[in-house]
Amino acid sequence: MGMGKDIFEITVNGLKLVVIFLMMVQMVPILVWLERRGSAFIQDRLGPNRVGPLGLMQLLADAVKFLTKENFVPDTAKPFLYYAAPVFALIPGAVAFSAIPMSSPIQVGTFEMFGSTWGPYTFLVQGYEIGVGIVFILGVSSLAAYTLLMAGWGSGNKYTLMGALRASAQTISYELALGLSIVGVIMLYGTFNLTEMTLAQQGPLSFTFLGNNVTASWLPNWGIFYQPLAAILFFSAAFAESNRLPFDLAEGESELVGGFHTEYGGFKFNMFFIGEYGHMMIASGLMVLFFFGGYTIPYVSVAELNEWAASVTSTAGKASALVALIHFLAFNVKFAFFMWVFIWVRWTLPRFRYDQLMDLGWKTMLPWALANTIITAFVIYIASL
Amino acid sequence: MTADAFLFWFLAFVTLASGLSVILMSNPIYSALCLAMTMVGISALFVTLNAFFIAGVQLIVYAGAVMVLFTMVIMLFDLKKDVQAFTKGKFTGAVKIASVGLLAGLVVGAIAMSVSLMGEKTTDNPVMVGTGMETTKALGNILFSKYIFGFEALGVLLLVIAVGAVALARSKGGTHEH
Repeated sequence: MGMGKDIFEITVNGLKLVVIFLMMVQMVPILVWLERRGSAFIQDRLGPNRVGPLGLMQLLADAVKFLTKENFVPDTAKPFLYYAAPVFALIPGAVAFSAIPMSSPIQVGTFEMFGSTWGPYTFLVQGYEIGVGIVFILGVSSLAAYTLLMAGWGSGNKYTLMGALRASAQTISYELALGLSIVGVIMLYGTFNLTEMTLAQQGPLSFTFLGNNVTASWLPNWGIFYQPLAAILFFSAAFAESNRLPFDLAEGESELVGGFHTEYGGFKFNMFFIGEYGHMMIASGLMVLFFFGGYTIPYVSVAELNEWAASVTSTAGKASALVALIHFLAFNVKFAFFMWVFIWVRWTLPRFRYDQLMDLGWKTMLPWALANTIITAFVIYIASL
Repeated sequence: MTADAFLFWFLAFVTLASGLSVILMSNPIYSALCLAMTMVGISALFVTLNAFFIAGVQLIVYAGAVMVLFTMVIMLFDLKKDVQAFTKGKFTGAVKIASVGLLAGLVVGAIAMSVSLMGEKTTDNPVMVGTGMETTKALGNILFSKYIFGFEALGVLLLVIAVGAVALARSKGGTHEH
């Protein structure tokens, strides 16, 4: 849990947190561009293509517009809550995103700097590693409901209050299905630690059933082949958790104007927006970690990659950096795919009605998640006989 | 002062300050938000005790679900009427005095209990050793063997409360009263 044993390690670990936060925030304008161009592609339009090459400068123009808008507070608002809500919107996303392992650790050997010897160090490519990783991420993201309530009630407007009540009711309903859907995954890997889960998924599909070893060399050893139902339930619940279509009941223009953020404009609105994308990023990251092998490459085990890297580089430090870079790219390819699925679904499916949303959460997803948990427990018990 | 001690005093201060704010705030919404802050502080204190799983569950269950429901319900109330009902009158005064008595008893009890617990080494307690999965496993084993009766009794109690709440709501017509 410590930050490091000397000043160099503490500095690097501190910088890492800043870089991961900036990475999360900087990904948002690119995703917005992708969202707008993607929606145009799906709806047979062109989308923003006038400002700069491919319309990429539109992002900068939007940022300038957000920053220079008039600062407006409604008369009936509670100023403290009104200003605190957008700031709090960023915290759960940023804190949870930092706990996601994005690559294998980088080894740094001993070296000379400022007249003294430093090292050796091991740096993890994640903000911090927590033993109970997934429990921590679920716990922190569950605090996001307060942001909605603070914004909705603090704005002093009945539409925002209705939007906040809808959104938070939706969030806590689907949190149950989300949490239960991954109990099977936790039982399967026997750990809460996200790095251990990733490493359990390397190589070809192979498992022991009733004392027989079963190996399928044409499939990677990914969680989706063991827990397909959990993957579907988890990803659907993640849509509801991040208030995305088809579950964006928090907005509903025709009844509620903009939902809980109706009264927010300019940069304050932008912070809610970043918070929403932060939830999407955590959901995509967890999807990759639980069901699609994390940062490992299909068919290639980490040990094989380490061996190859050691043969093409001179030192152990360079080899670990090369392996980390390859793993980082592998993680990001999978991660980007699930971010695209979020955008894809948004422009494909219509919005649910509120009673349909509650029926789906409580009467369909929760029983299926419970059944998945119990069946997984039985199968694990029988397989180990 | 070591980093651990600093962390403890800081978290203790935040937890106690937000706990005090719960009873000192005049607006129930701020009280509820402060109570949520207290829950987060307690969760962070569990982390400093190496009880990561309990810290996570504290966040998910109390801060993330129970207090969100409280806040939601309070937001739907007509606050002005309720503030008056709970700050004036003889009955309210009696309840306040009773609460003070209960709190005093709790404080005395906590001090007496903690003195007897001080002698116990943390290494004797399986829940306190190791990080991550081992503590969770130990906790699960204890919960489903030594404390199984209390655990099941609490489960039945919660079920009775849920059924009772539904029955009460229905007997008064519920939301579909005509």
